[in-house]
Amino acid sequence: MFGAVAFAQQTITGTVTDDSGVPLSGATVLIQGTSTAVTTDFDGKFSINASIGDSLEASYVGFSSQSATVDSSIVNFLMSTDQLAEVIVTGYGSQSKRTLTDNIASVTSDDIKGIPTPNAINTLAGKVTGVRVSQTNGKIESGYSFRVRGQSSISAGTQPLIVLDGIPLITNNESSNGSPTNPLISLNAGDIESIDILKDASAASIYGSRGANGVVIITTKSGKKGKNKIDVNLSNGWSTKTNGRDWMNANEYIELFREASINAGYPGYEEVYMESISPSWETTDTNWEDIALVDGHTRDFSVASSGGNDKSTYYMSVAHNDTKGIVFGNEMKKISVRSNLETKTKDFLTLGLNVNLSRADIDRVANDNAFVTPLQAIALSPVSPVYVDGEPYADTQYPNFLLQDKYGSYNTIIRRITGRLYGTAEITSDLSFNSSFSYDLYAQSEDSFNGSLTPFQSTNGDAFASNYTTENFIYSNYLQYDKEIGNDHRISVVVGTELNKSKRRSATVIGEQFPTDDFQTISSAAEIVSGTGGFTRYSFVSYFARTTYSFADKYLLKLGLRRDGSSRFGNDVKFGTFPSVSAGWILSEEDFLSNQPVFSFLKLRASWGEAGNAEIGNFASLGLFGVVSYNQSPGLAFIQADNAKLTWETTTQTDASIQFGLFDDKISGEIGYFVKETNDLLFAEPIPASSGASSLTKNIGSVENTGVEFQLSTTNINSNNFKWTTDVNVSTLENKITDLPDGDVIGNLNILREGEPINAFYLVEYAGVDPDNGDALFYTNKGTEGETSNDWNDAERVIAGNPFPDLMAGLTNSLSYKQFDLSFSFQGEWGASVFNSAGKFQEANGDWFDNQDRSQLRRWQKPGDITDVPRAELIAGNGTEDSTRYLKSTDYIRLKNLTLGYNLPNTITDNVGISNARVYLSGFNLLTFTDYDGYDPESRSDAGGVGQVFYSAPAAKTIAIGVNLSF
Amino acid sequence: MKNFNYVVLSISLLFFLSCEDELNIDPAQSITTETALSSEGTILGILIGAYDEAGQSASYGGRNHLASDLLGNTNQVTWSGTFVDPREFYLKDIRVTNAFVAGLWSNSYEVINQVNLVIDNAELISVENTKSIAIGEAKFLRALSYYDLVRHFGDVPLRLTGISNYGIDLDMARTASATVYNQIATDLTDAYNTLPESNGVYADKYAALALRARVHLQLGNYEEARDDADKVLTESGHSLAPTFAGAFNNFSDGVEDIFAFQVTSQTGSNSLITFYASEANGGRGGDVSLNDEFFDLFSDANDERSTFYYEDDDNKLTSKYTYLYGNIPTLRIGEMHLIRAEANFRLNTEIGLAPLAEVNALRGRSGAAAVTATDLDLDFFFNERQRELSFEGHLIHDVKRFGKTAGSEAPNSTKLVFPIPQAEMDANSLMVQNPGYGI
Repeated sequence: MFGAVAFAQQTITGTVTDDSGVPLSGATVLIQGTSTAVTTDFDGKFSINASIGDSLEASYVGFSSQSATVDSSIVNFLMSTDQLAEVIVTGYGSQSKRTLTDNIASVTSDDIKGIPTPNAINTLAGKVTGVRVSQTNGKIESGYSFRVRGQSSISAGTQPLIVLDGIPLITNNESSNGSPTNPLISLNAGDIESIDILKDASAASIYGSRGANGVVIITTKSGKKGKNKIDVNLSNGWSTKTNGRDWMNANEYIELFREASINAGYPGYEEVYMESISPSWETTDTNWEDIALVDGHTRDFSVASSGGNDKSTYYMSVAHNDTKGIVFGNEMKKISVRSNLETKTKDFLTLGLNVNLSRADIDRVANDNAFVTPLQAIALSPVSPVYVDGEPYADTQYPNFLLQDKYGSYNTIIRRITGRLYGTAEITSDLSFNSSFSYDLYAQSEDSFNGSLTPFQSTNGDAFASNYTTENFIYSNYLQYDKEIGNDHRISVVVGTELNKSKRRSATVIGEQFPTDDFQTISSAAEIVSGTGGFTRYSFVSYFARTTYSFADKYLLKLGLRRDGSSRFGNDVKFGTFPSVSAGWILSEEDFLSNQPVFSFLKLRASWGEAGNAEIGNFASLGLFGVVSYNQSPGLAFIQADNAKLTWETTTQTDASIQFGLFDDKISGEIGYFVKETNDLLFAEPIPASSGASSLTKNIGSVENTGVEFQLSTTNINSNNFKWTTDVNVSTLENKITDLPDGDVIGNLNILREGEPINAFYLVEYAGVDPDNGDALFYTNKGTEGETSNDWNDAERVIAGNPFPDLMAGLTNSLSYKQFDLSFSFQGEWGASVFNSAGKFQEANGDWFDNQDRSQLRRWQKPGDITDVPRAELIAGNGTEDSTRYLKSTDYIRLKNLTLGYNLPNTITDNVGISNARVYLSGFNLLTFTDYDGYDPESRSDAGGVGQVFYSAPAAKTIAIGVNLSF
Repeated sequence: MKNFNYVVLSISLLFFLSCEDELNIDPAQSITTETALSSEGTILGILIGAYDEAGQSASYGGRNHLASDLLGNTNQVTWSGTFVDPREFYLKDIRVTNAFVAGLWSNSYEVINQVNLVIDNAELISVENTKSIAIGEAKFLRALSYYDLVRHFGDVPLRLTGISNYGIDLDMARTASATVYNQIATDLTDAYNTLPESNGVYADKYAALALRARVHLQLGNYEEARDDADKVLTESGHSLAPTFAGAFNNFSDGVEDIFAFQVTSQTGSNSLITFYASEANGGRGGDVSLNDEFFDLFSDANDERSTFYYEDDDNKLTSKYTYLYGNIPTLRIGEMHLIRAEANFRLNTEIGLAPLAEVNALRGRSGAAAVTATDLDLDFFFNERQRELSFEGHLIHDVKRFGKTAGSEAPNSTKLVFPIPQAEMDANSLMVQNPGYGI
């Protein structure tokens, strides 16, 4: 219909925006087949002289090019992100995913937005292959476990290095109450643009002696040229425990302990006992779990403003979160302010400043192994009342945590300043010099007060105050050279140095004897009973180089080298060198794969490299004596044995994968395999205690992690109104000790043994109950198959399980229909077991008056009974020893998060000056499918032990509703 | 512009040539082993450190006492609560992984190694008198530690040289207990000979002698036990506290204390409080409560020792441990009287004082009626020791010495001997487990 007026040129105008409607400034619009091109302005607008029927192509870095035929005087482009052109942050630079030869997993802000958890790290769970993230337990601030491709160390650190905008973050746990705090809790997830996880050694080796556990690079948002915008997010969430347990009610309790007393030869003792713990035992029936685990609430509010012009961009945000946890008395308020500014001050010089101020104020409860932690209330008898005359009842068998809550307090404040000033000078068009100075200040203070009515109080109150301040200074410089030679050769070289100094200062004080409970700070203590104060420091000096080369965009090669020195190691071994190499071949660029409909992209890549692990004590190589005091006289005491040869662990990793895109990238994915071998393990080897020391840190032994990683993304439906994409990831992990020169090392419940996973459970095997007399039986495992004994000491321990999973998977579906969007992620783990260290109290067939799990009702009662719960008998210890009786498999699948959103139509929003408005419903830990009968398959004790639970709170299940507004 | 670039480059390069000095960092709160073994001040410091070590909860800070008394118990006390490690002593069913057993073992050897280092490096101490006192104290602490090890475990590795470099073969077999006892006697004799008459809160010559009296009594060397106790009673200047209560819960050593581990609000630890005291007194609420059978030991209602308790939540708790920061009496005059009296009685001698007079003098302090000669027999001494010394860590050893039973266990039962800790079994290839523990 327009064909008739061909060749008549006219002014065509339009806007180039990204898929969320944000204008793209600086995008190129080209008339195909000509050299006529224009660039979009700040508002993403362009104007070009073209004819009807011409084909226009819009392109912008990081987005797929779009073309459109001119059919009217207005042509708008809606750009979508190019999966393969996606920019991956590699540390000291970035690279496009297409030409990347390393294994780096990437998560963007879209993947994690709106997930209702105050812990930004949590949002990664189930999203990427080979990465396992879990929060220790249901306390808001509780620590997290972050593993990249398994545990590659026994005694040194196992968590990846976390780098935020080029700053290796301080990740100390500075908690003083035995329950670890999450040092990243104050991080605002809304500020995160992307999280790139350097998994293979080729990627991580650029971080040298600190890269062996992988490196997590968090990049925060920056402003984009174009329209200035303001984003507001408001959400309100409600939480409950993911799961509860079945405890005996008062009648069942009385019945069981009546029987246990008779069997123990003290008939009627249960009544004597119950009299002592309850004024009303015949009429009271308390469910203590309901008292300890409560409904939580979370409220989020954030505002971000961003934008920029040709010379400068800015991003500024403030975020506030207020969370009431599901554990009684656990609350947090945090606030974070960020400013990311960048400006071109001279033609050759760009300067930038990132600053983040954050503060988290947390009311906390005791660690899992403390009587006064709320969840230990499940040990209390259902016949004891919670309150008597409005006061927490004080004569419970173990302390009533409500007394601690009412008359005591434990407050932690984390204050953090993270900042980086950087500059890039273009020396020539190919060569630039990058310099940055970063500073990270992590200050954690804790204040506690136990008033005169708190449990165990004997000193008219006591107060504790601590202050830990850690500062990191990072001074980093590198030269970057990028050159295209001819059409086919592209070379990029980075050479640099980095100095990282860290200093930690600590001070604690304890005071006792307060005049009244009105006075609660140290200044009011009549007696100061303890004070500490000290410093510790470490430093790294590093040199690094990296070269990437590509030929014809098909053949890719990368070489890396880092040399690190650390103050932590002995003089003779202060420096280590970490080389790496990786290569890739983009087959789909080859002629033999052109003009075929199947493979839109196909790449083979492989890498090899070494990285180190220096996460041991600052002075681990030295034999040390420290000061002790005896009757206020100073003395010296042995601290640790020396080993001047102590150096870092070295992890050598080989990795290969195929990356593919099928049918125009409708299906894309990667299949990879890795072998990660760690040698010279930094290992606190147990030595005979009869030598006066119980361990010696050595570099011995090897561990191997191997795994297959599979990732698949499909675009199932992509029509104008309906879009549906699916992401699947599956990773296997085999963790194995390959060399342990001095033989087995046996811990409390775990063993280190060649050929077995690190810290495999090593336990006596429970054999059930003798039908004749109700005695617990254990397999002797002394060579006679099936032989049992009722004497636990008589049974040999066996390898009984792995504390970590060997198979992990995630499944995310994202759908959008017209104004609606829906995404949900399942996550699953298989192969791990957990030991309930409190089983001997909770599932102890009435061994003592702790309330029992209802499973104990099926105890043996008379000869001939076939059951797995032994005869009830007070203080008989019948089967309560550490055995596989308390070891449970934690295989699970969990609906980790779900978000349902609705974008208000522009016809409504435009009228009120809002460019975009979205309301959403979002959930976290919504559903769990598992046979595990404890609280939560993800929850672990925060009071020590590997793979153990001990009155550990389940995770929170949260449902939130929220609204996003963009102006 | 070019020049400016070069300036930028050179400054950055220069910076990196100089910063490797940043790698030399010394710890601020500790010194190296080499420094610690290099001067008079540090060696004397290690000796004081050994007192602190020995006074920790794991051994003389309380758990040693508690384990001995729970293991020796028949029905005098009830252990309540689910704290499994002490309960295993109470039930005479000790696991090889018992944390209290492992703690006593490792803590004792930490003390032993530290005092061995003091003895090995004593030549650094310039003043002769200071040196001999330091060696004497070191030997006292070594003897004390070995004595409790050998009593609880039987044969134990006997290490007499300090280890400062752990890059050596650390496996060591058990030494016959007779040899260990000989070493204890030798050390105590040396200590007695070199230590001064009084030495502040640290061990003096009478501490060594009092401990030797206890060791001799255990070994049945009654003459030596009697004579050592007699010497302590007549020469040390210590005497019974005017009241029974005065012997306990002392902020500083009382007249009756020959040797006590020091506890203050800032240093030391008293974990007897933890297990014996009410929450109001700083304990867990009285894990150990006194039964009627305990009170049945007393025949005289006026005996203050029988009323030396308080009630908490219907439980009777001993009043011996009610002050959170009280010192822990380790060797006191009351025990010396009982040693001398029992030895005199067994030998039919009257060195120092006739047994009857001595026993009645001790009873008299607590307002207990005098007994008569016909009351005196070995059972009387077994019971009188309980009346006087309960909860002070003597019971299991007395049970064995007097050939009594603990619960249903005969005095020679393998269940009344600690197992070698599993960790030691696992790490020390020359170690052999005690009978009754899985072998």
